[in-house]
Amino acid sequence: MLTKKLQPLQNFLSLISRRGSHLARQQYDVIVVGGGHAGTEAAAAATRVGAETLLVSQKIQTIGALSCNPSLGGVGKGQLVKEVDALDGLCGRAGDWAGIHFSILNRRKGPAVWGPRAQLDRQRYREFIQSELLSTPRLTVLEGSVEELLVSEPNPEEPGHHRVTGIRLANGSHLISASSVVLTTGTFLSGSLFLGQSMSPGGRIGDAPSSAGLSQTLRERLGLRIGRLRTGTPPRIVKDSVDLSLAHVHPPDSHPTPFSFLNTHTRCKPEEQLPCYLTYTTPGVERVVRESLHLNCHIQQDTKGPRYCPSIESRVLRFPGRQHQVWLEPEGVTSDLLYPQGLSMTMPPDVQLRLIREIPAMHRAEIHTPGYGVQYDFVCPTQLSPALQVKSTQGLFLAGQINGTTGYEEAAAQGLWAGANAARWALSMPPVALSRTESYIGVLIDDLVSRGVTEPYRMFTSRAEFRTSLRPDNADLRLTLKGFEEVGCVSTLRYQEAVRVRDSLQDALAALQALSLSTHNWRKKLPDMCMSEAKSTLLTGMDVLQYNDVSFEMLASAFPECLLPHMEFSQRLKIEAVYRPHCNLQKKEIERIQKEENMSLPQDIDYFSLPVSLSQEVREILDRVRPSTLGAATRLQGITPAAIVHLLNYVRHTGQKERRTHRNQPHQKKAREEELCGRNAALPQ
Amino acid sequence: MLPSIHRGIWRAADHILRTSRGTPPCRFLSTFNGVPVGIADAETIFALSSGHGRCGVAVVRASGPASATALRCMTGLTRKLPPPRTALLRSITDPQSKEVLDRGLVFWFPAPHSFTGEDSVEFHIHGGPAVITAVLQALGSVPGMRPAEAGEFTRRAFQAGKLGLTEVEGLRDLIHAETEAQRRQALRQMSGELGRLYQDWTHKLKRCLAHVEAFIDFSEDELIEDGVLNQVDRSVCDLQAEMERHLKDERRGERLRSGVQVVIAGATNAGKSSLLNTLCQRPAAIVSPIAGTTRDVVETALDIGGFPVLLSDTAGLRESPDLVEREGVRRARERVEQADLTLVVVDCTDLPSEAQQAAAFLQDHLGRVLPNKEQPETVFPADRLLLVLNKTDMLPEERRLKLDRELRLVSGLPPVCLISCHTNEGLQDFLTVLHSSVKTLCGDPLSSAPTLTQARHRAHLQQCFAALAQYQRYRDIDLALAAEGVRLALTSLGRITGRVGAEEILDIIFKDFCIGK
Repeated sequence: MLTKKLQPLQNFLSLISRRGSHLARQQYDVIVVGGGHAGTEAAAAATRVGAETLLVSQKIQTIGALSCNPSLGGVGKGQLVKEVDALDGLCGRAGDWAGIHFSILNRRKGPAVWGPRAQLDRQRYREFIQSELLSTPRLTVLEGSVEELLVSEPNPEEPGHHRVTGIRLANGSHLISASSVVLTTGTFLSGSLFLGQSMSPGGRIGDAPSSAGLSQTLRERLGLRIGRLRTGTPPRIVKDSVDLSLAHVHPPDSHPTPFSFLNTHTRCKPEEQLPCYLTYTTPGVERVVRESLHLNCHIQQDTKGPRYCPSIESRVLRFPGRQHQVWLEPEGVTSDLLYPQGLSMTMPPDVQLRLIREIPAMHRAEIHTPGYGVQYDFVCPTQLSPALQVKSTQGLFLAGQINGTTGYEEAAAQGLWAGANAARWALSMPPVALSRTESYIGVLIDDLVSRGVTEPYRMFTSRAEFRTSLRPDNADLRLTLKGFEEVGCVSTLRYQEAVRVRDSLQDALAALQALSLSTHNWRKKLPDMCMSEAKSTLLTGMDVLQYNDVSFEMLASAFPECLLPHMEFSQRLKIEAVYRPHCNLQKKEIERIQKEENMSLPQDIDYFSLPVSLSQEVREILDRVRPSTLGAATRLQGITPAAIVHLLNYVRHTGQKERRTHRNQPHQKKAREEELCGRNAALPQ
Repeated sequence: MLPSIHRGIWRAADHILRTSRGTPPCRFLSTFNGVPVGIADAETIFALSSGHGRCGVAVVRASGPASATALRCMTGLTRKLPPPRTALLRSITDPQSKEVLDRGLVFWFPAPHSFTGEDSVEFHIHGGPAVITAVLQALGSVPGMRPAEAGEFTRRAFQAGKLGLTEVEGLRDLIHAETEAQRRQALRQMSGELGRLYQDWTHKLKRCLAHVEAFIDFSEDELIEDGVLNQVDRSVCDLQAEMERHLKDERRGERLRSGVQVVIAGATNAGKSSLLNTLCQRPAAIVSPIAGTTRDVVETALDIGGFPVLLSDTAGLRESPDLVEREGVRRARERVEQADLTLVVVDCTDLPSEAQQAAAFLQDHLGRVLPNKEQPETVFPADRLLLVLNKTDMLPEERRLKLDRELRLVSGLPPVCLISCHTNEGLQDFLTVLHSSVKTLCGDPLSSAPTLTQARHRAHLQQCFAALAQYQRYRDIDLALAAEGVRLALTSLGRITGRVGAEEILDIIFKDFCIGK
């Protein structure tokens, strides 16, 4: 088993800054704007694909900062972390490094919906991300504020009205050119902070607001549709001032499970983990909220906030007379603060103090930093392709909250995908898309680009139709191989490990399948198992492993010679046995969707002059949304089956033409793989 | 490679129909080709391929891998199948009860030499409804067989490359027709008792799913008690019991109305009720010179040239302050939505004397009487519409003839008949036109086949019922798989009542629970 050694980190901040201070060049393949979860994943992914990359952040110190909650993963979100890790992203390994409280949520509800989650040490998380970026070849980090996005006339051979050529920095007229730019501005795009009745420009407290120039370019120069969303964060509480004996202790799992497929253990030892605490709101909390509504301008605004993760104000207003949960979460091993999850609020600081003191455990609590609200611009994501590229602008990619999502994991997933595609664009490789049938990242991106958002988008397992196939345990089999072979964003080392896992699992499954006994004989071998004698047919090891009271260990001790060698994967094999019959049932439906998704519709079709019989209404819908595949077209409201027949006909004709022109593709791919292997082999492991 | 692309596209078409949310008429399209997830292409479909109504011979067709099994077990051909594409006279029996249902011709078309390119079987049986229903039910009891969706045979033929791409244009119209027919049929089914029952079940299932999903996605962080699942258990149990009773009930709830649905519509006092009375040769509806006499829908079963027709007279369409009359107008509009054939009655004394103006008047009038269709090209489907200009006895002979002559020359209008319900003038011509329209509609197996719809509903309900059992089986073992059962159940039921999307479930979750993390 391969284990990445978790080495002690130093503070690399100064090193990175130095690197940024004397910029080596004026031209890059990819420029990533923003150093949050989306930006860091984007920059790292772009370099993995092979692009010379520049990461521009307002403050190098805050790269990899956890702006809101000190935790990663959860139900649905944990799946995203596993997938980002499977594509060789950073956040899974960073979580393993920085985690101080690990638990698998939904442990009793079935492995498909297990939610790996960890409380994080903010400082360790930032350190890990910063040191990873520092040790990434081909990546330069620069401190600065982007004033303007440079665009020019488009390449006539590609769809789009504009082409990105680079950025202009705020300090003077410093221009840096690039083939692609990834914007991951988070809440900073025309961000406003709300606290009580005061409002000030900015995206995060303590940081300078970003320049208005960027928002203006997107809006006016590129003509993008922009919307506005809001979010908020709770006050940070001084730990010593909280009476934790009045709260319920919530211990972590006794054996921390790492996020990353490369790690067998976490940095934090099981016994070093810190607990969380659970407490509840009281009627007093509701009273304070109601009394202070007139002092709270964030909550009075009608900008759309999420229905989930709402502020304490909207929670008590929408569900009055109830007790609401408040989690008190550690912020780090050395931190003397607590994060009160569920108490996001925007009232004036003195009222915030009154409010939290209505909760018994916090009756003498002190606030370190008050909570506040943020409103920010987002770009309506239906204007993006499945590669997260702005359809109308060649080389411009967007990821994270700028696309209307919420959450670190959602941002990281988009960042990785946008970064990989930005690099591919810069290196003249065709874009890649992930299907919603193979990953949560695919579900996320498809929901965004084909349906858009009306409130900040968060991942839930219920959004994935094929939830039982898209499990946290098999993310590596679903994505690592593809990530290496088709995307180029996975290192050789990880690829080899995934191949080994795949082959071993196949061997083990074959061994299980080869065990074929009658019910009678199974009962003799496994006396503890409840199995009705009535079944007359032979049962294989796979069939028997599906039984609730049968574990792989039991089978291995009954058949040591053929099964003991596979003990490493005992849990994965058990899960596979339970889910395989259901996944097989879903296969047809998955294939159908994939086929439709593989039929791409050119982005430059003039739907109004398409020489086929389509009603004006259908033409208007198609022109407005410009679905990138036939699959996406089928999900549009108002498209008739007849229109689909015509589009099919069209795709077939153009498809034939395209096949002819793409014939030399495999050639390029092979050359590229050779280059990659050479590069990765040279990396220090 | 190519056939597989085609398969995708048909599903694509279905998918649209299933996903078109928001506009109520579209929602019902979800019944279009509902193929259960997973076992899609291995399925064998069957349908009555000849039209309904009075006919000597009915043709029942099956296509798919189980066709041969069906042929064997229903004709007692245990040893070998009949020679391909050759008529064979056999007794047709119920595979379970072995009861002889009919004696008829059977044909065996092995793949690929069949209409669909798959193994196919045809049963040519006697045309009575009892025989047809019995044979269809017997086919439904053969494992792997399910009733075909509208146009599914054609689709399979297209997939198999039996229809060329040059026929795409024609297919487009076909799909339109099918969609239209399905929509009307669904509207009819869903407006009745049965529809309400299915809607109620869908509603309950949605809540069940929302609560299970809430428990999966949020219970670790939120205040969602285990009690939520106990409620779901109870609901699932109740639903199962209700569905079981419903599936066992031989009366099958409401009797489905059969026959071509012909609706008389128009402005008040145009003579709609007089037309109904004239057609059924008895005073079924009250007629009076007072506008707004008919307030509810008056229905009469008729036999027109041997074809079953359900004729409905509706309230005159006008704005009225009277609540009862307004409800009557609403019902009238609903009926027109569901109609196979609409007779728009116009008082011809209201027409402008100039022919060109008269045509414009009629166009405008039709626009007001008929529901707004989404597709501009289907606003005046000529074969689904007849213009009846009544009260010709009130016009001078000369003007009547001129009108008749000139309106025939105007394009863009449906067939026009001039009659007088008072003197029966022009009635014979009108009946001829009506007869040919009804005949066309009856020959079209899409227009109305209640038994088939019923069989299809049954199949979906059975799948729904089976899926709920999956919930119970996995409830304590693996909640993800249990939830999958409820999802499947909802999908199956959704093929009758309309697709339910993930967003709808999330809406319920956020309405019922305070999700704070």
